[in-house]
Amino acid sequence: MNAAIQFNNVSLSYGSKIDPVEVLKGINFSVSSEEIVSIIGPSGSGKTSIIMLASGLETATEGSIKINSQEIVGLKENKLSEVRRENIGIVFQSFYLIPNLTAIENVLLSLEASQKYNQEQEAKKLLSEFGLSHRLGHLPSELSGGEQQRVAIARALINKPKIILADEPTGNLDSANSQIMMDLLFDYTKKSKTSLVMVTHDNSIAERCDRIIEIKDGQIV
Amino acid sequence: MVKLFDTQQLRLINKYAIRDFSRSYKKLWVIASTLFISLLLLSLTFSVKEALNNEIEANSKELLGGDIQVTSGIDPLPSLVFDELKVLGEVSIAIELATMVSKKGQAPVFTELRAVDDNYPLYGEIVTTPLGASKKIYLNTQKPTVLINESIQNLLQLEIGDDVVIMGKSFKVAGLVVSVPDLAESAVFGEFAIISKSSYDKFELSSGGSFLDHEYRIKFNNNIDVSKQASLVESIVAYDDSIETRLPGQSGRSLGRIIDNFSNFLNLVSVSAMIIAGIGISNTLLSFVNQRNTSIAVKKSIGFSSNFIQLMYFYEIILILIGMSVIAYLFGVFSPLLANELLPKSLGIDLQPTVSLIGYLNIFFIGLLVVLIFSIPSLYSISEIKAVALFRNTFQPVSLNFSSKNIILLAILVTILITYFVLQTEQKFYTILYFVAFFITMFIFYGVSKLLISFLRRFHKFSNNGYRIAYRNIVAKKSLAPIMTVSLGIGLTLLLTLSFVANNLKQEISDNIPSMAPDLFFVSIDRDIQPDLESFIKSIDPEVTLEFSPMASASFISLNGTPIEEIVSENNRSAWVVRGDRRISWSEKSNPDNPIIEGEWWEPGNENEMFISMDSRAAYDLGMSINDKITLNILGRDVTGTIKNFREVDYRDISINFAIIINKAFANKLPYEYIGTLKSDMSSNEILAKVVEKFPNVSAIKVDRILSQVSGVLNKIFIAVTGISLIVIVIGLIVIVSAVLVQTTFRRYNNLIYKILGVDFPTILRAMTIEFVLIYLTLVFFALSVAIAGSYLIVENTLQLTWRFDLGLTLWILLTTALVSFVMILIANKSIFSPKVYPLIRNE
Ligand SMILES: Nc1ncnc2c1ncn2[C@@H]1O[C@H](COP(=O)(O)OP(=O)(O)OP(=O)(O)O)[C@@H](O)[C@H]1O
Ligand SMILES: [Mg+2]
Repeated sequence: MNAAIQFNNVSLSYGSKIDPVEVLKGINFSVSSEEIVSIIGPSGSGKTSIIMLASGLETATEGSIKINSQEIVGLKENKLSEVRRENIGIVFQSFYLIPNLTAIENVLLSLEASQKYNQEQEAKKLLSEFGLSHRLGHLPSELSGGEQQRVAIARALINKPKIILADEPTGNLDSANSQIMMDLLFDYTKKSKTSLVMVTHDNSIAERCDRIIEIKDGQIV
Repeated sequence: MVKLFDTQQLRLINKYAIRDFSRSYKKLWVIASTLFISLLLLSLTFSVKEALNNEIEANSKELLGGDIQVTSGIDPLPSLVFDELKVLGEVSIAIELATMVSKKGQAPVFTELRAVDDNYPLYGEIVTTPLGASKKIYLNTQKPTVLINESIQNLLQLEIGDDVVIMGKSFKVAGLVVSVPDLAESAVFGEFAIISKSSYDKFELSSGGSFLDHEYRIKFNNNIDVSKQASLVESIVAYDDSIETRLPGQSGRSLGRIIDNFSNFLNLVSVSAMIIAGIGISNTLLSFVNQRNTSIAVKKSIGFSSNFIQLMYFYEIILILIGMSVIAYLFGVFSPLLANELLPKSLGIDLQPTVSLIGYLNIFFIGLLVVLIFSIPSLYSISEIKAVALFRNTFQPVSLNFSSKNIILLAILVTILITYFVLQTEQKFYTILYFVAFFITMFIFYGVSKLLISFLRRFHKFSNNGYRIAYRNIVAKKSLAPIMTVSLGIGLTLLLTLSFVANNLKQEISDNIPSMAPDLFFVSIDRDIQPDLESFIKSIDPEVTLEFSPMASASFISLNGTPIEEIVSENNRSAWVVRGDRRISWSEKSNPDNPIIEGEWWEPGNENEMFISMDSRAAYDLGMSINDKITLNILGRDVTGTIKNFREVDYRDISINFAIIINKAFANKLPYEYIGTLKSDMSSNEILAKVVEKFPNVSAIKVDRILSQVSGVLNKIFIAVTGISLIVIVIGLIVIVSAVLVQTTFRRYNNLIYKILGVDFPTILRAMTIEFVLIYLTLVFFALSVAIAGSYLIVENTLQLTWRFDLGLTLWILLTTALVSFVMILIANKSIFSPKVYPLIRNE
């Protein structure tokens, strides 16, 4: 069976060739489909960098990264956008909803990026499942942090991606909200047979995952 | 990949653009308003020019008054020739002469008098009040009648039915001429009257003097093969070089040239306005992109490509462009109706608005090019926004994207714009020159900002809190100084240039009556009466200053054997010297007022050879040099002479000036008349009234009357230039606002941080002031230099006036512009006065 994500000897460094800042060094791991993986490690160890590489928003300095067997290192921007549209949903720590779009419009945006139109019913249904049926027409500035993050997750899930990447999705939420959020995320990924890669500082959350990858100084421990 | 013609994709772009529109239209007003104003200006100038040209073309026969016109000058055509012409069609004779119209108790008025036969006019009609008054001049009443124009009516305070005296004969005023189809351009602003040819014949002029013209207009019997008949006419009169023929379309030529020159100027100004608006668009888009930095990053993280997002914003601008260009075009199309009100009625021109798709597309295309050129560097900055920033929670503002691919694209678009525009104008060379100068100026200001930055880097050890912040803002990696400098610089330069031109015109109007100028200018004085006239005037006023010069009429035939038409183009600045009849004079010694700048004056007494002294400017323009041979036609005879010297002639001093002067010994053989100037402490009206009563055939122009006509014309130009300056000022200010908008999005965050860090409000204000003053002072020097050079060229070369500098006006413009811009910067930055931190955190 093919892996959803496959990192082969991936390195990432910033700065000049002469004096590089080595952020990741020779990372090897794979995530199979339907697997839920958490990444943990101290601050500055390179967790976010892995998510960035996996989403194709950052380019690896060395090595190969495959998303559903497709090599993404070296792809052009337009091609990367396509891979992302078809395979990946991203959840950020700071939500990042588009401020002048309503909750449902933020969700629809994701569908429309993949040229799926007239699926408002789907979006409504998903938001309702997330307990937001009464907030569909509200702007992000009119939503609480927890509500904003639920919209953000709905936006990542609506497109039925094969992989969800989340960077400390509960980092900006209190523990009650975090619990609701994680339940939603776990339920949904299980139900829709999606892989989930999630960076977290919360051990209780990490332990609910199928597998934990620990990073230290840019290397897997 | 975004497929350009994927309809689903297009529909999505359309949907997003419309949604974005409806939610942020307030931020788009800068783009919409600058586009609208500049497109309106463009549309106005194109529409009026087109309407004028259409009118001239449609009425070319009326403007000429016939299918062909033959002008024989002072002498009528021999009757044999006249009979030959009559075979071809209906012929109308008109005699034009300059003379005096007088009324008892009023100063006589110098008038362009036209005597016409009853075939006149062959095309069009004489419009009079009361209607039909033109018929009366042909009636064989005991007292002949005359039609006068409104200007004579005002000057002599005449009523219909009053009596006037023309060349010693009494005429009754039958009515007012409102318009004639073929009005001479010189009569548009001046005094003009019509009598019948039979009345004219009763004057029994023995020699009419050089201010007399016989014109024959022919309406061919059959309308087929007009050009063949026209060449037949030309061959009939070919025996005499001094007889000229004109075809329809040629009559409006000099009027057309004036229109072309003026509309070319307007077009350049409106394209400048478009380009300045373009800078505004560029600034606004950039600030737009930066405001949406995160939204764009999010869209990218979801899987939208940069292309798609760029396309969407671009689509939005195109929508604005379409909307604004349609409205601007419609306003522009109906502007000829307004122009009708402003043009002199006597021209008889009635402009019609013409709505055409081509006309609209023309405006749209220019607008599209400008929008493309200025939105590409802004919109391509979208590709520099990195979605990874979403993981890091920091956002780098992006700035204009000048990748080498973009530069090539821009170069192509700029070339298309210039070529497209130049192809539509008459003066292609000047237009290209203008564009080159404009873009060079833009680069200069860009360089100026870089200069300021590197200068400040050297002198940064200035430990004042406000200065430190200002310094950091200017030299910062993504400094706004370049954008500010270019926008403000170009706006200020154009504003200064136009104001200088307008001001020079105004000066010219207010002080163009030199105290040394004569009061009266006598034209066409018969040599036999000149001594009597001189002693008569001296008997009225013994103190009078009188100057008479002999004068003969000549036309230019060739230079060194080459026909002059082959050498001198229509657009040559000095073409007037060799066109048509030129009045020449002679002298034995040189005049100290006209210093010789090349060559030498001739020895007196050589009566068999013609020596020529030329106006130096004309000689330069026409490419003449000392010892060249010139052939002139003097009273029907071709005479060849040698250029001996070039004189500097200042036509603005109102003494008698001639472009061409020949040696007296040779000229003594010519038939001639006199022209003269008079200056007296007595009232010139009084002298004129007495002179005209005693010498009915003497004509004299009151100099202040010509000058007021000139001022009238200059005044109209002044109003036009000022109006355009105002529009440019408005666009310039909007652009400055847009530059400030860019700054605001960059700056708001910084200023907030400063506040949070405890920098107090006065310090931030001081920092902003210092920053502005530094940038403004640097660009003032360059803006002023370019404006002085530009306005000097326009004033001296195009308007042919003397350029002057007005320090007061300059300071006034510099100060107001500075003040207005700075106040706008403060208004746009008003959030720092009461920064609400909360919504900032919540939203982005
Ligand atoms: N553009 C960059 N240039 C240089 N170094 C960078 C850059 N981006 C990140 N780094 C470095 O890479 C290392 C890893 O960063 P990363 O964000 O992946 O850490 P992290 O494990 O997510 O930490 P945290 O738990 O604090 O979010 C850090 O030491 C950081 O300083
Ligand atoms: Mg991190």
